[in-house]
Parts: sequence; C-alpha cells; structure tokens
Amino acid sequence: MRAPETFCRQLLDTLPRLRRYARTLVFDAAAADDLAQMALERALAHWHQFDQRRDMLVWVLAIAHNAFLDGRRRDARLTIADPDELQRTQDRAGGDPGPDVGLRLDLLAALRRLSPDQREALLLVCVEQLSYAEVAEVMHIPVGTVMSRVCRARAAMRRFLDGSAATAPPALRRVI
Amino acid sequence: MNPPRSPVAPTDEQLSACLDGELQGAERETVEAWLREHPDDAARVRQWAADAEALRLRLAPWLDEPVPASLRSAVQRRPVVATRWALAASAAGLLLLGAALGGAGVWQWQQQRGAVEARAGAGAMTAGWVQRAAAAHAVYVPEPRHAVEVGAQEEHLARWLTRRIDVPVKLFDLREQGFELVGGRLLPDGGGKSAQLMYQDTQGLRVTVYLRKPEAGTPAAFRYERQGELGLFYWVESGAGYALVGALPREQLLALAEAIYRQGGGKAPR
Repeated sequence: MRAPETFCRQLLDTLPRLRRYARTLVFDAAAADDLAQMALERALAHWHQFDQRRDMLVWVLAIAHNAFLDGRRRDARLTIADPDELQRTQDRAGGDPGPDVGLRLDLLAALRRLSPDQREALLLVCVEQLSYAEVAEVMHIPVGTVMSRVCRARAAMRRFLDGSAATAPPALRRVI
Repeated sequence: MNPPRSPVAPTDEQLSACLDGELQGAERETVEAWLREHPDDAARVRQWAADAEALRLRLAPWLDEPVPASLRSAVQRRPVVATRWALAASAAGLLLLGAALGGAGVWQWQQQRGAVEARAGAGAMTAGWVQRAAAAHAVYVPEPRHAVEVGAQEEHLARWLTRRIDVPVKLFDLREQGFELVGGRLLPDGGGKSAQLMYQDTQGLRVTVYLRKPEAGTPAAFRYERQGELGLFYWVESGAGYALVGALPREQLLALAEAIYRQGGGKAPR
C-alpha cells in the first residue's frame, strides 16, 4: 500500500532539514543527497510504522542516522581502513591550517575536526534544536551519553576556534 | 551526595545541559545560582551559547538551497509544478486572507536579495526584517527571567511601544487560542525600531509578534515560512509590518495569525 498523502506531505516538509543533517554527516553535497534519498525510501517503505503523535523530523533523522551507519559498516567491510589514514584524511578535509598554523579555525573547519559522534550530537542540539531525549532517539544512545557528547563537543569547538588546538594532534583517534 | 549549603562546582556537563534547558528543578536552580556567583563560568556558558548561535546562522542558508527534483519525486510521484511560494501559501490556507502572491514575491525577493545575502543567517527568499524577527525570537524566548522589558501588567506597554516605533501597537488578546501576553520590548530594526510582544501558553511555549514600520512599497502579501522548527507568518498592512514567530505546527500558528489579523493587526487606521 502506498503511503498516504498526509504522510508524504509531512515527509516533504522535513526535506530541507533532512538534507542539511545528511550533509553534516558526510560533508559532501552529492553523498548527502544519496543518503537523504535512502532515508526517504526507507521512510516510505515503513510509513505504517510512523506514529502520528511523534515528530516526523525526529523519526526521519533516526532513519537517516541508521542508513548512514549501515553505509559506514558496508564501506568498512569493503576497504581495509587504516585509521591513521582516515584521521589524516579527516584532518586534511578539516581545513588545512596551511601557512597560518596556530590561527583560529573557521567555524565549519572546526566542526569537521570534531569526532563524528560529537559533531552529530552538537548539531542536533544546537542547530536542529532537538531535546536530549530526541537526540538520544535519533542516535540510539542514552540521554547521558548525549549530554557528555554535547559538552565535549562544545569544549573541543572552543579549543579549535580559539586556536589553541590548531597545531595539537587530535586528542581522539577513532577507529571507524 | 553533596552536603547542603556547601557550594560544589557544577560539572561542565551540567553547565552545558543547563544552557540547553535540560536541567529541571533543584539541579537547575543550583547551577543557575552558581553561574550568578561565578562570572568566569557564566562567560564560558555565554560563549557556548554564542557558538551555538553562530552554528545555527552558518548552517541556516543550507535550508534554503533548492531541493533536487529527484528527492522530491522520491516522495511525490506526480510532477511538482507549484513554486515554493505557492506551495507555502496554499498549504497555509492563505486564500482566506486574500494573499497577493507571484509578482510581488519576486519583486520583493529581488529588492531584498542583496541586503539579505549580506547577512550570514538569512535565507535567500526572506526579507531582512523577517530574519530579524526570527533572530529576536530566538534570543528572547529562551530567557527565563528577562524575556520581556516591560511586563503585560504595565498599562503603559502599548502606549510606550506605539510612541517608540511610530506604529499603533495593540496588545492582541490570544487567550482564546491559549496564549497569555507576557510583555514586550523595544528592539533595533535596521535603521529604525521595532517592538516585540511575547505570549506564552500554559506549557510555557512562547510565540512572539514582531511589529515595525515598513519601508514604502513593501509588498503586503501574507506569507508563511519555516526555518527549522520555527514557523513564521508575516504580512504588511495599513502601515505596519507584522511577523508572528513560534515553534508551532502551521495550523496552530495560522490560528494565532488570524486572531491577530482580526483584532486589528492590519486594520489599524492610519
């Protein structure tokens, strides 16, 4: 059965924010739209699972989050990921400080230097303005973890923006 | 746990959660009291708040980028011919209010575009004053104690604002829709001044009405727009510009906009 009209309209309304969220996960406009497309298709396939008393945006973002994790797991199986190389790629992508080493990073560059988990929590709270409970729902983590990720993300952003961490090696090395 | 009356420094996590409105009751009071006594920590929290605002502004324009047709059609199989304006207007049921869309919208868009694009957080389709209304909403609505400059109980509120912004300010009665007037404040608005009225429902949800004297020739069309979770209705009528801002579903916000409109938010004699 096709999803009802109301559901489709609600889904359409989430599109700008879904795309923005996807873009902060993958930082590439085309890949973000692929991810958004995948989330939309999953949402449409499972429309009957959506409880109309809930917030459509939170539901769709949770679906996108899962699709993103699935993609990451798939990629990890296909390639032998070298964590150092991943980190270097991330650092390069994060705005090479270049000749101005020691200067402040710009906002987006600072954002990209955050660990993906911290970045996602911070943006869902500060930009999408979800409650901690909603972020917990999107990311499938306990509320307490949301609280600590947001806090650590804030502190890290401050270090990057103040310039005190521009030359320091990243404090966290994540093995994806 | 902590002995009473011995102030124990809140953790950074508590400070951060307090900023996000995630602390309740005694915990929140303790943290707020700590911040009043410790300007360094208060400054740090303010800096986090400024960072959050900067992020919001930096990422806001992403919302206004055109959505690729492939994504739309994934949801809607039939061809989408309606423009963004027309969609927004019809969805909001604006025919009721005699909206004049189309040419005026494009005109305004062209007029405002330069000014708007200069502003980091502005959506390309939105007039600068509407952005200011949204920004003022975002700044003052979370304020627990200093949300308004002059409380609703002060009988000079309407007269004071009317005199300052040179637009007749009426204190709209939204109680039928479940909102009580909290009060108002005077704000800078580009080169001029504007007024913000704040209303609150029993759950503590707040909406604001932004009023200003419009530039000559500002189109009068009644418009709706969403910016993240904020909904905005805005219109210009009889020498006053109105923007109603709130994190409410469209229908509920429209009911408020209509109530304001009926009560003279647009019919004030000039």
